[in-house]
Amino acid sequence: MKESRGKETKVKTKEGKGIGRSYIQLGLMALPTFFFSAFLIYIVAWNLWLSTLNWSLLHSKPSFVGFGTYAAVFKDLFFKVSIYHSTIFSLGLVAIGDAVGLLLAGLLYYLPNTQRAVYLSIFLYPIAISMATNGLIWDWLFNPELGFGWLTSHMGLPRLNPLATATSTTLSMFLVEFWAYTGLAVLFYLASFMSVDKSIVEAARIDGASGFKILFRILVPNSMNGFIVATALLFLFSFRMFSLPFVIGGGPTNLDLMTLVEYVYYRFYTEFFSESAAASTIITAIAAAVIIPYAVYGIRKWVMRG
Amino acid sequence: MASYRARLAKYVILQLAGAIVIVFWLIPLYAMLIDGFKTNFEATVTSVFQPPVRPTLSAYIAVWNSMKRPLINSLIVVVPVTLLSGILGTMGAYFFYVLGEKHPIVGNTGFSVISLATFLPVESAFLPLYLFEYSSHMVNTYWGLMFAYLLFYIPTAALLMSIFMPVVPRYLIEAARIDEADHWTIFWKVVFPLIVPGFLSTLIFVFVMSWNNFFLPLILTTTPSMRMVPVEERYFTGGYGTLYNETYAAAVLASIVPLAVFIVLGRYFIRGLAALGGGAKGV
Repeated sequence: MKESRGKETKVKTKEGKGIGRSYIQLGLMALPTFFFSAFLIYIVAWNLWLSTLNWSLLHSKPSFVGFGTYAAVFKDLFFKVSIYHSTIFSLGLVAIGDAVGLLLAGLLYYLPNTQRAVYLSIFLYPIAISMATNGLIWDWLFNPELGFGWLTSHMGLPRLNPLATATSTTLSMFLVEFWAYTGLAVLFYLASFMSVDKSIVEAARIDGASGFKILFRILVPNSMNGFIVATALLFLFSFRMFSLPFVIGGGPTNLDLMTLVEYVYYRFYTEFFSESAAASTIITAIAAAVIIPYAVYGIRKWVMRG
Repeated sequence: MASYRARLAKYVILQLAGAIVIVFWLIPLYAMLIDGFKTNFEATVTSVFQPPVRPTLSAYIAVWNSMKRPLINSLIVVVPVTLLSGILGTMGAYFFYVLGEKHPIVGNTGFSVISLATFLPVESAFLPLYLFEYSSHMVNTYWGLMFAYLLFYIPTAALLMSIFMPVVPRYLIEAARIDEADHWTIFWKVVFPLIVPGFLSTLIFVFVMSWNNFFLPLILTTTPSMRMVPVEERYFTGGYGTLYNETYAAAVLASIVPLAVFIVLGRYFIRGLAALGGGAKGV
């Protein structure tokens, strides 16, 4: 009896050691992911700390000022302009990109398979090119003498000068952003439409429903997944936009195009380090407010189903 | 007959609407591809929409000297970053997948953290990153750039692979565990062969995103010899006295690698993008 108990304990100890070793091995495999994720969180926290100081060209020996730097940032005209542009670009893209993306996905849904694949690739190719390159390309297209202006004057219309005024510059920037990112919305909506049960669509078609009716009565109501993800990702991609306004605006100081992320860079560049850190923290907070619900949704929907 | 005509009319309208939108989407690509072949004279007297009369490589030859070094720099940094991010991120995803079921809190927290790291604007934490690299003498070095890229792209790879990982049935891992295989063996012999398509998508996604990253090389390199492709490109804007044939030639040289990847392996790139929004199912 005693002998058998002894054996059991031995087996348990062996198992325990095995489980322990297995966890160690797993932990080691994930170590780089942990390290880099933890380091990222560490520098975000470090950034938060820097934002509570008054470190700048004028204060080379910084001291703690709490929310004082935030108060200064909120009063800064450049910050107000940049937050206005970031809001316009992000919310505008979410509204228009989502709506047009939905319509284009509807259009692709009814096209033959090969044509659909080619068109989808065309909508997505701007994402494969760097936004700095996209900025360069569009910069010349906006030229009044050699770009769209030339085209409109040859069509007998007034010569178009998209970068002539502050409003038209902002709208032109929005057009580039729309061109660059709407493909994402098309992709996510199309993915949702394709996952709708084909038999329901066929039944509606047999009952004489038009393409629009099928789109808005069957496909769209069953595409909550596409809507949530397209909205979250369009917002995040446009909210972090930097190189496009940087290249089109000729640097970070163009007041017609300055975004929040450009403001962060501008304040760093002019050595107002704590103000730069404060604006970064604001960006992080806004981005996290969108990312965390996206992550929670993603975990439930995609990861835990395995 | 009338119904046939109505269907035909609808089809024509559908194709026409599609063609109009596609033409708009292709205008920048068209301009980029044709205008690099113009002479300096043509670039001053013709619009960006007119094709070159006598195509020449002179603009490409003119910009090649400036773009050569940044292209090499980008390859030196981006290729190892892509491979390391892909492999290490996949291992991280395996960890979350194995532990996620038994310990949901580990899976949930891990997935939230890597999502945050993936979508957090790079610019939002760059000041401490710059200070860290500056004090570690990593500014203007390949190591410094690689470290910064890995910081953002290992979590991205881990996120994408976490989404692709559920294609592996859990019972396969459990069966291998019962046969006393260790996790290292299970990962390489059981799991990895099943997630190769997802792994390729992740590699291509990370490659394209890191190749196109503008901000990190902008702040972490100050010497011209360390410039990477997107940063070098900003010197080809009209504001620097460049003609558009050279701008577009530089744009083609800067985009040729990611565009070639997109054209040849586009379906993997699209699957990677789709995974961020629709799980591994995609389009």
